[in-house]
Amino acid sequence: MADPIIELRDIRKTYRMGDLESHVLQGISLSIHPGEYVCMMGPSGCGKSTMLNVLGCLDQPTSGQYFLGGFDVSKLNDDDLSQARCRNLGFIFQSYNLIQQLSVIENIQLPLYYKGVPEHESRAIAENLAEQVGLSHRLYHKPNELSGGQQQRVAIARALSNDPLVILADEATGNLDSKSGNEILNIFDELNRAGKTMVFVTHDERMVQRCTRVIRLRDGLLDKDEPGANANRTAVFEATMQH
Amino acid sequence: MFSKNPYIHLILSPQHLWRSMSLGAKSIWLHKLRSLLTALGVVFGVASVVAMLAIGEGASHEAQEQIRKLGSQNIILESVKPTDSSGPVGQSRSFVIEYGLNSKDIKQILQTIPGISIVVPSRIISEVLWVEEKNLEASIIGALTIYPQMRNRTLAAGRFFNDLEQDNRSPVCVINQSAASRLFPLSTPTGKTIRVRGTYYRVIGVIEDEGQRATTESVSQGNSKSGGNGSLAQMIIPFATLMDNFGDTFFRFRSGSFDAEKVEFHEAIIRVGKVEDVVSSAAAVKHLLSRNHPREDYRVTVPIELLRQAERTKRIFSIVLGSIAAISLLVGGIGIMNIMLASVTERTREIGIRRALGAKQSDIVLQFLIETVLLAGAGGVLGVIMGLGIPLAISHFAGVTTVIKAWAPALAFSVSVFTGIAFGIYPAMRAAKMNPVEALRHE
Repeated sequence: MADPIIELRDIRKTYRMGDLESHVLQGISLSIHPGEYVCMMGPSGCGKSTMLNVLGCLDQPTSGQYFLGGFDVSKLNDDDLSQARCRNLGFIFQSYNLIQQLSVIENIQLPLYYKGVPEHESRAIAENLAEQVGLSHRLYHKPNELSGGQQQRVAIARALSNDPLVILADEATGNLDSKSGNEILNIFDELNRAGKTMVFVTHDERMVQRCTRVIRLRDGLLDKDEPGANANRTAVFEATMQH
Repeated sequence: MFSKNPYIHLILSPQHLWRSMSLGAKSIWLHKLRSLLTALGVVFGVASVVAMLAIGEGASHEAQEQIRKLGSQNIILESVKPTDSSGPVGQSRSFVIEYGLNSKDIKQILQTIPGISIVVPSRIISEVLWVEEKNLEASIIGALTIYPQMRNRTLAAGRFFNDLEQDNRSPVCVINQSAASRLFPLSTPTGKTIRVRGTYYRVIGVIEDEGQRATTESVSQGNSKSGGNGSLAQMIIPFATLMDNFGDTFFRFRSGSFDAEKVEFHEAIIRVGKVEDVVSSAAAVKHLLSRNHPREDYRVTVPIELLRQAERTKRIFSIVLGSIAAISLLVGGIGIMNIMLASVTERTREIGIRRALGAKQSDIVLQFLIETVLLAGAGGVLGVIMGLGIPLAISHFAGVTTVIKAWAPALAFSVSVFTGIAFGIYPAMRAAKMNPVEALRHE
């Protein structure tokens, strides 16, 4: 088996509010390998948002170790965490989170801007990605001129622009009608087939039908970790990796 | 691994800075009215800095110009009609008023005060000049040949009279430009003649006007009657010629009554050999005169003291100006800070998104700082434009000299940029210190 892209060792997260301590994550260990399409599920309050924040290097675990791409990121300072996000992670949000003042192409270029990629290179990358998500004709539109599905496609292009190790998504289809939701899910399928590793927090059963692995959390602990409908796809991918 | 970013230098590259600036400009443009109102404080602050610097420089320029004309090595003595014009004590009800500097004073000054190189006395009377049917009330100055050098006055045409003409008591004269333009509006004055009390004087030269300062009080009275704008009309003739033709008593009819003044010298210019000695010599002269003249019928003007005084005035002016400018920029800066804080709160979510996409705290600081500096800088540019307009308007409508030095707008503009930085740091830091997770959750 190839080295895991994400490896968590006994991750704990405790929030302190006055005298009250709430243990949101109570020791989670798991590994995610290249090419996996992971759905993270669980009832609200189970800690999956916190989990995603930790995975996304937006939040530091209280204890435990987190290896991202083989490097321990659980003790990094703010600047290095920013760099870790910038170079290894792509984010997709439920409410798209595009920057309203910026055009489609500028939104896609944003991670590259912070990565420090020169303008002409980043522009070529962004145009290419816009084409892949079918938005070549909307490059200079502002996000509020696009439909929800189109906005989410911009967000996907943006998440891909820095060629991340992992794409993280929080309820990526939650705000979309079923038709555009399906379109987005098709894009995810394609990306996964192309070998992208993805970790999605979701309630969407359709996604469960398409993923390779389902992780269920309950009360800050790993409840179930079972293969998804497409589990064999990962195996195929790993087989090709070894050749 | 993460701390070695091969692209790190690119963040501060001109290209990226340019992009950050155009981004900042965009978000300023997004709220045009708000931005304009916010920048207004800085606009007025900068405008007042530029305008007041221009007015201050103009005033000091004017003062220096005047002093340069009077001569920094000179001490100027003038005869002044005493306030109680009843004549000297003991000489009851004489209708001839005798006052002012006399040859005894001049002699004593030359003999007792060291370091004085020359004393040039002159007499000034007010008379009517005639050229054919035109007449003009002017002051007639009896002077010596070195008069132009002593007063730093230059000839516009012709020449000044020479020693020979002075010794011969020749009827020649030099008139100033304002007299020339009024008496000979269409022709060249040199070679023409001017009649005063039946004597004809040949014009041999035209001298440049003397600035605003009235030479003596009696003359300024004379001028107010002739009502001319600009400088006083002057005719300069050899001292000896003046004594011959007008004597030492001056008669004048004024609103029906008749009065006569006897003044030996109206004015005397003392030139001191070294500039350093001017102040001490002036003190000695004042002391000497105060003994000779129990009544205050003279006035001592020391141009170099005027210069010092002008500098002091300018310094006080600068302090006042500086405080006003500082206060308005402070108020403007607080206004900017206030809006930027509001803007940071409003854009919390955007900050969260940017952080999630890999922006470092320093990137966020830079973004907001650039925005603030652009806002303040734009205010600065508007302020400079406005500040350049105000002095022009003042010069045009109030006739006050204003001088715009190149450094004044540059200084005012950089102050506005500095205000932007100073008041932008805190909101920018606040934006950068936000927790990315909470910022992303912000509605």
